[in-house]
Order: sequence, then structure tokens, then C-alpha cells
Amino acid sequence: MTFARVKTFAVGAIVLAGLAAGLTGCGSSGSSGNKPKIVLGTKNFSEEYILGQLYKQALEAKGFTVSYKENIGSTEIITAALNSGKINLYPEYTGEIVQDVFHHASTPATEAATYQLGKKLEQQKGYTLFNRTPFSDTNAVVVTKATATRYKLKQIADLNRIPGLKLGGLPECATRFNCLIGLRKEYGLKVKFVPLAGISSYTALDAGTVQTAIGFSTDPVLGPNSKYVVLPDSKHLFGFQNIAPIVSQKLVKAYGSKLGDTINSVSALLTTPAMIAMNKAVSVDKQSPQAVAQAFLKANGLL
Amino acid sequence: MIVAAGAPAGPIVPNFGSGNRCVVENHTFCWSWVNAHWGDTLQPALSQHVELSAIAIGIGFVIAFTTGLLTYRRRWMSRPLEGFSALLYTIPSLALFQILVPFTGITTTTVEVALVAYTLVMLFPNIVAGLNSVPADALDVARAMGFTRRQTLLSVELPLALPTIVAGLRVAVVSTVSLATIAAFLLPKGLGYPIFLALKEPSPFRTEIYAAGALTVALALVADLLLVALRRFLVPWARRGAV
Amino acid sequence: MTLAAISMHDFLDAFRFIGSNWNLLLDKAAQQLELAGAALGLAIVLVLPLGLVLGHLRRGSTLAIAASIAGRALPVLVLIAALLTVFGIGFVNNMIALAVLASGPILTNSYEGVARVEPRVVDAARASGMTGAGVLRQIELPLAIPLLATGVRIAAVTVVATAPIAAIAGGGGLGDIIVNQAGYGFDGVLGASLCAMALSLIAYGLLSALERAVTPVGLRRLAELEKGNRRQEAVSVTAIT
Repeated sequence: MTFARVKTFAVGAIVLAGLAAGLTGCGSSGSSGNKPKIVLGTKNFSEEYILGQLYKQALEAKGFTVSYKENIGSTEIITAALNSGKINLYPEYTGEIVQDVFHHASTPATEAATYQLGKKLEQQKGYTLFNRTPFSDTNAVVVTKATATRYKLKQIADLNRIPGLKLGGLPECATRFNCLIGLRKEYGLKVKFVPLAGISSYTALDAGTVQTAIGFSTDPVLGPNSKYVVLPDSKHLFGFQNIAPIVSQKLVKAYGSKLGDTINSVSALLTTPAMIAMNKAVSVDKQSPQAVAQAFLKANGLL
Repeated sequence: MIVAAGAPAGPIVPNFGSGNRCVVENHTFCWSWVNAHWGDTLQPALSQHVELSAIAIGIGFVIAFTTGLLTYRRRWMSRPLEGFSALLYTIPSLALFQILVPFTGITTTTVEVALVAYTLVMLFPNIVAGLNSVPADALDVARAMGFTRRQTLLSVELPLALPTIVAGLRVAVVSTVSLATIAAFLLPKGLGYPIFLALKEPSPFRTEIYAAGALTVALALVADLLLVALRRFLVPWARRGAV
Repeated sequence: MTLAAISMHDFLDAFRFIGSNWNLLLDKAAQQLELAGAALGLAIVLVLPLGLVLGHLRRGSTLAIAASIAGRALPVLVLIAALLTVFGIGFVNNMIALAVLASGPILTNSYEGVARVEPRVVDAARASGMTGAGVLRQIELPLAIPLLATGVRIAAVTVVATAPIAAIAGGGGLGDIIVNQAGYGFDGVLGASLCAMALSLIAYGLLSALERAVTPVGLRRLAELEKGNRRQEAVSVTAIT
């Protein structure tokens, strides 16, 4: 009798749906014990995914339990997540801490001073910084080789030769002194900004949507045989941008020195060549950040 | 032989191997990449996508069905609900996600609430229409045979309404699977996430986009076929020709 | 702070954003309508005649119905991404993606609109010596207008409502703000989202009114009657209502 079939099916469906509703409701709110959970977040681009995987896997190899939240957003957004307690650890760039989190107009003159200032500022808010990495990844003003040849571009100020100049970059660039604002003020660029929310600066450059764009100094496409040219930052506008993981002091207190030692042991290995090689493996050779991080950690005895 | 103890040793950078030409030059489709990354990229995204869609459809169906049963007889109730549903569907999904964020944060709950809302929109009018499309003759026969309200509902109205309800389910399922790709804008989950990531590459990565896209469409089609089979199971007497 | 208080705070900020960025939002809305209009126009020009002819010949009904299902099954994100790899970023790839989305309802409804004309009416016209083209133009087309108008309305609202996604591929519109939380802050994102919602609702209202205005009164009443009598089965799968 079909009626019986319908009834069975209906009851089954309702039970399933109820279970499903119950399961989503239960979410991930469980917290066992009195130690705060390690919640590691990353920003929204490839290098951060690699860093996130490196720290995550190294921590897990040492027995820590890590809750991983990838791709949270730009500096402003992930800082909000940190302040609201949604995460308590993430890899940040020292210059960005000083200029974009704490809104200082310029960065100190050396790499070490930038790190120390950033650390001091974070400590006033209840956070601190682990050691910084050897590599620094700053903004880079990029043009295609063709554009550079056509307008004889040797330095950033030369860009003003281009009529209707358009600069592409991540949206947050528009409000930062170490990006658009500084480029207009310090280098006197007369430029229209095109925010690129979903696509890469290089895609926009290739398409001709913009004549120049902001890239990152560790981008693999800027390596040897690159089809792009980086215009040098003679005024050191872009500062120093080593990675130094921001961590809440509560977390440090709860887990002791083992947490810091594990993270620092990873950071010490991240030289510029190492980072570029990993970026290349992910961006150009299309390997997953997880696999690349794993290979790197294994090769260096941390896994 | 003197070994320089304490000399700074740089990290060992393993040879990650260069990707094969297909991937590095971003050809149209690279099966090698799909094989290599099925386990770490595509399959997890697919599972997440199925989960997101299934929960939305399950909850949406329960709500639509219950509300439909309660209101189909009372047109003064179901009409405005139908009107409201139609309006809800015009809200852009990105906008709806963001409007919900102040209430439920950047969580799976937000995504599910939005997806459930869209599912409801498509299911509710169909359930009501299905229940109302039962021919008057059938109802007369039931009354003549002395069926109670409940018996009429279970033995006459529901079975006859099933084809329409399943048709509505098919539309809802296909649309939900399609909409769930947008969830990746909020959360790194579902088949939309690989697509967003691939778009951000210096040269948007074709294989990943096509692979994730094909999986989404395949998922929708499989779900549709399952529902057609279900309808045949539940309502064997329905015309084969009916869509 | 309670959840309600937090939410209210967010919405108040959003309204403040709307108030102080009126020009920007209008600009973006206009950009969005431009993209939507171009996509709709492209779809109508390419697909409407096809549907009419197929319906007249009463061939290709599977294609017409499949078009709507395909439109639903193909996520717009996939369309935009795939077309981006072919056409690059900007207006064109987004216009084509949205046009594909709009084609479903237009093809299905133009086909059904013509195909569902009473066969006896068509026979009578032919018997009185009308050519095929004449039948299509003078009999079937006018009678198909209600379903046609519905199809265009559905397509138009779909395109306006989906356009914000195009922002990830350089399509512009209110989506530019919604995807750009880093640039405009969450109050901007929420404000633009509310505006996008309002734009969709306005489009829905206007187009529904237009649809009603275009449908001759007699046909409207006839359609209501038919909807009530006929089994709703096929209707729910395709784009018709």
C-alpha cells in the first residue's frame, strides 16, 4: 500500500531532518578542561595558508590540539576576530602591526626596531609576539615588462608618465599609508585605485585593467625569468614585514614555553628562499599548502 | 678535518618538484592535478557541500511541509506566505548572508539559515499547490466512504499531491546545491571554496575551476535523478511522461 | 550586550553608512542595473526568437524545459569563473554569465507560451489561409504574451538579484562593496547588502506591475482559471510561474 510507503518515508525524513538540525545546533562549542583551546587563524592569501599549515602541523606533531580557521580575511578583519576572542593565534607581519593595527604613520628604520615596537604595542593589549622569521614580505610595485619598456620605467615616480594611470591592489591598500596613501603622498603618484577583491593583481595586470599593481616581494611570479618588473621602493615606504605570530598572553600562560618553542623552531627556518620556494610550489605548481608544509617540516625534522 | 660547529645552517628546502607542464602553463584541464588533489582538495569540498545542502533541504522540507499542511486549506493564510516567499527569493544570496551575520556571526548557522530560507521559498508554494490540486471527485469519494479528515489526508490527498511535491523538491534541491557554492564566500567550505581560491591565483587556475564546477553540476544532477527514482518508488502510478 | 543589541548596533551603523554614502550606492546600483540590463537584453535577443520558433513548430520541448533546469543547476559562480578563464575579467564575461542565467526562463516560457496556444485556434487560422509565419505573428505571439512577460520578469529579477556576485570578477555594482569588507568596513557591507535587497525588491515590484500591464485583461483571467484547473505538476519544474 503506497500510503504505508509514504508514511514510512515521511517519518524517516522528519527524523533525519530533526537529527540534522540537532547536529548543527550542537556546533563546535564543546570545551574540555580549563585550558583555552588553541585557535589558529590565517589571513586570506596563499602565503598565509602555507604559514598556517606550517604552524598547525608543527604544533600537532608536538601533541597540541589546534582548531584551524583558514582564510578569515585581511588584517583589519582578522584583528577583529582576534580581539573578539574568535582566534587567539595567527601569523602577522611586523610592519602591518605597527602601521595598520596601531595606525602609526611610518615604520621604524630597522627590522629589529619594527619587531620590538610591534611587540610592545601588542603587549599593552594583552597579546605578545613570538620570534620573527628571517624572511620579510613587503609590498612591491609591479608592472609588466612591456609597460616598463614602453614608458622607460626605472623608479616608482616614473609611473606618472602613464596617462590615465590605474593601480590595482587588495582593497585594504586604499586606506593604508604603506600602500596607496603613501604612494600618493611620498612618491607623488597621481593614480586611480582599482580594488581587487577576488582576483590577483597579476591577473589584472595581464588583462590590462590596470597598468601597475601591488604585489608581494615573495611572490613566486617575481622570481627568475619573471615577466614582471618590480620598481624599487627607494623611500622605504613599505617598511619591514617579517612574520611574527601574534598570540594571546593567556594562551602562553596556559601552555608554557613548549608552545613558544615549537612555533619559534618553525619560524627560524623561514628564510626568503625557503618561503619563495614554498610559494612557488603552491601558486605555480599547484600543490596544496598542506602538502608543501608537510614536506618542508619533514625535511627539517619537525614532523 | 675540522667541522665548523655552530655554523648557521639554513633550512633544508626540499625539492617540491616542479608541477607538470599542464599545471604550470595553466592548460584547459589537467587530469594529473585532479588525481593528485582529489583527496586533499576536491573530495573534502564535495563532502562539505553535500552536508551543507542536505541539512538545508532537510530542515527546509520539514518546515515547508508542516506549514503547508497547516495552511493549505486556508488560502487567506497561504497566499501571503507564498507572496512573502517569492519576495525572499529575490534577495541576492551574498546580501542575505551578510544581513544574517550580525545575528548568527560568520558560522555554518548563518549559511544554513539563508539556504533554508531559499529552500522554503521554492518548496512551500509547491506543497500548497500540490495539496490543493487534488481533484474534488477524489475528496468526494473519500467522504462518501466515510474517511475521517486524517484518513483523507493520509490516504488520498498526500499520495495525490506527491508528484507535485517531489517536483518542487527537485527544483529546491538543484537550486540549493547551486546556491551552496556562494557559502564559500563566508566560510572555507563547500565546492565554491576551491573556485574562490583558484580565482585569486596570479593566473586563475583553470583545472580547479572546471573540476569544482563539474562536481557541483554532477551533484545537482545526481540528486535530481535520486528524486525521480524516489517518486517512482512512492507513486508508481504516476504518468511516466510527467516531468 | 545581548544578541539583539549587537545586531541592532550593526544595522544602525549600516543605515548610517547608507545615509552618508548615498551617491556611491546610487552609482553602484546604476552600474549593477547596467550589467543586468545588458545581460537580459543579450538573452532576449538570442533566445526569445528561438523559443518562439521552437514553440510554433512544437519541437524541442525537452530543450526548452532542460534550459530552465540547467539554469538552476549551473551555479553562477562556476559560470563566472569559467567564463573568466576564457574572456578575462570585466564587463563581458559577467554579462555573458548572467545572460546564460537569464536564458533559462526566457527560453522555457517563450516556448511554452507559444506551444500552449489552443490547437483549435491555430487550426482555424491555418484553415483561413494564414501562413506559418503569419500564425506565429498574429495568433500565437499575442496569445503567448502572458507567459512571455512572466518569463522576462523572472529572468530580469534573477539577473538583478545575481549581479552582486559579479563583483569578484570585476563586474562592478553593489557587489563591489559587499565583497570588500576591508575597504568599506562591515557597516558598508551590511549597508550595501540592504541596498541590494531593496534593489531586487523594487525590480520585482516594477517588473510584476509591467507584466500585469502588458497582459491583456481577458488573457489574465483565462490564465487564472487555467492555473486553478490544471494539475500543477509540470508548472513547478519549469519557469512558468
